[in-house]
Amino acid sequence: MNRHQAPEELLLDFAAGALPPGPSLLLSLHVALDPVARRTVQDFQAIGGALLESAQISSDDEISLEVALSKLDEIPVESPPATVQPIPGFEWAPATLVPYLGRTPRWRKALGGFENIPIRIPGDRHRIEVLRLMPGVGLPQHHHTGSEYTIVMQGGFTDVTGNYGVGDFAMGPGPTDHEPIADPGEPCIAMIVLEQPIVLTNRWAPLLNPLLRRGWL
Amino acid sequence: MLTADEAADLIQAIATRQDRAAFAALFRHYGPRIKAFLMRGGSDSETAQEVAQEAMIMVWRKAASFDRTRAAAATWIYTIARNKRIDHLRRTGRPPIEAEDWLTIFAPEEEDADKSVLAGQTYTRMKELMDDLSADQLVVIRKAFFEDKTHTAIAEELGLPLGTVKSRIRLALGRLRDALEREKDE
Repeated sequence: MNRHQAPEELLLDFAAGALPPGPSLLLSLHVALDPVARRTVQDFQAIGGALLESAQISSDDEISLEVALSKLDEIPVESPPATVQPIPGFEWAPATLVPYLGRTPRWRKALGGFENIPIRIPGDRHRIEVLRLMPGVGLPQHHHTGSEYTIVMQGGFTDVTGNYGVGDFAMGPGPTDHEPIADPGEPCIAMIVLEQPIVLTNRWAPLLNPLLRRGWL
Repeated sequence: MLTADEAADLIQAIATRQDRAAFAALFRHYGPRIKAFLMRGGSDSETAQEVAQEAMIMVWRKAASFDRTRAAAATWIYTIARNKRIDHLRRTGRPPIEAEDWLTIFAPEEEDADKSVLAGQTYTRMKELMDDLSADQLVVIRKAFFEDKTHTAIAEELGLPLGTVKSRIRLALGRLRDALEREKDE
């Protein structure tokens, strides 16, 4: 049983398609891994469906069936999509993440003793990365100037706000310092989406923060 | 009118035998609705028409991916239309979640306990339930779906504190669910 779902208003943003690509991808992973969040999104989508069904229409809303029918000859009905094949070594990745990892993803050593894979989505201005932390390894203490979303895909981590396992969603608001540390067991793998560069608050901060702001770290 | 079962049958007919008559029936029902829906969200008539056309063509192409046990036809078509609109707005790169991904997200091995309570409802029942929501709650829900606005943007637009918008969303969902839970118990 997961204990950390995304708040309902954020799941509504997701279900209504209002989120930018980065947060939307992260929420799709949460929904894939957490049955309670999935149920909430399905409920919201059912509301969307009901709103579409009950849309008030007038004769002005008629659209040309002939135009559509004339196109069908060239457009085959596609067979159902094949299930996404997991990438060897990356079996923890839900299907919606796989296309973004590339064919041969490679972990990159990051400053601070963890590894990461940056994720790029055209048209998205968030900083998005998948992180891997060995048990006991922590992220440098930091706080946020914007919102931060995290989804755990393997293992778990603990910080002052609690313990997070597979499927759990964490939202880092504002100024509180926190220092997430990977739990014992499997390495912790999580995706993180940052609205703004994080601000380090440890002793290296004056040196590293300007680099973080430029997206070099 | 078209019931949810009839709509699902039509989609299945497209999937199994490329049934153009079934497509035409679906098109007549949902084409104008998609257009009206989009125009309520602020699209101009031309864009709404274009997106509605593209969405309906997508319904044809993806018919074999539709699974009536996982989503009602209107919900599936809503998702496709929504993605088409996002696609239209961005026109850069692919949208993050393709319509077919939505179906893979919803893992097949779902247990009954996790089933969406609203997903199984008929449209008339959903409409009744939604009519029971307060005007304050409805305006937020409608803005989210019709205008693709985040709850933060809705709060700004309505000049409301963020907390108020959050609680309206939670209350609305809670009320819909409670009403259905009560019916189930009776």
